[in-house]
Amino acid sequence: MSEVLIQHLQKYADEANGKVTTPRKGETFIEIDQAHIKAFISHVVNDLRVLWLSTITGLDLGQNFGIIYHFSHENQKIQVKTTVPKIQPSTDSIVGIIPGAILYEMEIHDLFGLMFAGNPWINQKLLLPDNWPADLPPPLLKSSKPAEIRKRLHLEVERK
Amino acid sequence: MSDESKRKEESAGLMEYSVENLVPFGPIHPALKEPEYFKLILEGEKIVQVIPRIGYVHRGLEKAAEQRPWVQNMYMFERTCGICSFVHSLCYAQAVEGLTIYEVPKRAEFLRLIIAELERIHSHLLWVGLMGHWAGFETLFMWVWNDRELVLDIVEAICGNRVHKSTNAICGVRRDMPENMTDRVVERMKYIVDRAHYYRSIIDTEETMLKRTENVGGKVTQETAEKLCAVGPMARYVGLRQDVRLNDPYAAYDEVPFDIVTRTEGDVRSLLRLRLDELIVSANMVSYAVQHLPDGPIRVKIPPIIPAGEHSSHCEAPRGEIFYYAKSTGGRTPDRVKSRQPTMANIPVALELLKGQSLADVPMVLTAIDPCFGCMDRMSFLDTETNENWTWSGEQLRQYGIQHYFPDRFKTQQVRRLP
Repeated sequence: MSEVLIQHLQKYADEANGKVTTPRKGETFIEIDQAHIKAFISHVVNDLRVLWLSTITGLDLGQNFGIIYHFSHENQKIQVKTTVPKIQPSTDSIVGIIPGAILYEMEIHDLFGLMFAGNPWINQKLLLPDNWPADLPPPLLKSSKPAEIRKRLHLEVERK
Repeated sequence: MSDESKRKEESAGLMEYSVENLVPFGPIHPALKEPEYFKLILEGEKIVQVIPRIGYVHRGLEKAAEQRPWVQNMYMFERTCGICSFVHSLCYAQAVEGLTIYEVPKRAEFLRLIIAELERIHSHLLWVGLMGHWAGFETLFMWVWNDRELVLDIVEAICGNRVHKSTNAICGVRRDMPENMTDRVVERMKYIVDRAHYYRSIIDTEETMLKRTENVGGKVTQETAEKLCAVGPMARYVGLRQDVRLNDPYAAYDEVPFDIVTRTEGDVRSLLRLRLDELIVSANMVSYAVQHLPDGPIRVKIPPIIPAGEHSSHCEAPRGEIFYYAKSTGGRTPDRVKSRQPTMANIPVALELLKGQSLADVPMVLTAIDPCFGCMDRMSFLDTETNENWTWSGEQLRQYGIQHYFPDRFKTQQVRRLP
């Protein structure tokens, strides 16, 4: 079962110039270019019937943002990776394919400042406080320092 | 509409929904569980749309994890939840163990299973009690929470703590089971199974529970649950065989015989039945595991530096799939740790369940997803036709719900009815 699934993934990844690696048993990483990500996930969900999106992880990779879509299918963990340049922090939303992804995209938008075009609720805050200053960098970027966040949000405790 | 009330509505961001009634549900009250905020948009009594706003207790654990050593993080992530604390540390430990070359000893895997299943039993019991409370059946609440104490006693005897067990270590567990515990655990589990059967018969026959739970909760089809990526009991109660313990066994789940429970009715009562059945399965698993506990070491000591790489792990928490992702660059601290809790995954399903329900059923339906939040303690109401504004506490909302179904109760303390 799992070999057939990985063969199919390989086929769709080849179409999109992607790379498939299996570092451990039951864990598959697929690196896909940002432009093909929506089409690839559409294949995964609609053609291969891998339906269970566990979550979406955002990463700060220096010049780029990394996004990992974690799918669980039986005993396989299928993880679709892509990168988005920081100078143009916007990518396609997959809410049209998987409606359950809506909150995960909002979470990454809050914590990394990455835009998901096509997500209807993307401009609402989900996790960050209402008084989060607009000029403060999103909290999970490596350049964002906890001490500065505490200072700007007036969370510092005065020590006597 | 007067200028003053218009300004008030504008500042609250309510102008968008001026035709229907908007009910802000939450977020602030420190007394009961955690704060959460749902904008409920009503048409008369019926809910037509729900918009969530979470994050009132967001503490930035993922950022904090990047500043702390690998081992310290495990005890920090355990503090994510006060009910299912063990499974958080277990899932984080598994994510980190995947990056190392060490194997977890067999005895430690069995001990992990025993504690995780005890946690599931006490979490489900807690939930059944809360459902009794919101339905207006306090006796059930008292009985169930009394039985929960018996489970917590065993947890305390094994781990030393009742709530934050702090028993896990990377590649093992820190404490072995005390000697001569087997008979005591088996006896207690037998008692819990008996009680669970009794509670099942109550749910099927008692009038209060039948009225408040039968055919309550919007119908969610299998297709909707799949699309919204529902996890745990919320997937199983529509008939999906979705359980990490069965699909992708971790710890010792491949060596202990068990089967998962699914139902197909799709109302709140089927969730009660499902969780009580699951509890019985878990109790039998604990009995089996303590009797077949293998001998050997319980822990492998590992160096503080974790090799570079990335690994993800998932476990079945009482509320559904829990997910951790860890990325190392070969240092003493992680490069990135991502954690996703089951309630987050089930919020889209909860919103779907609430649509079309009456206001009186909100406490039952929201509690039915077993949320790790659910501050029912503050609701303010706005009637857009008469510009009336009033506030109900969670207790008053509960009374309103009970009165809706049983008009002869709470005669002495009438709560205000909706116009």
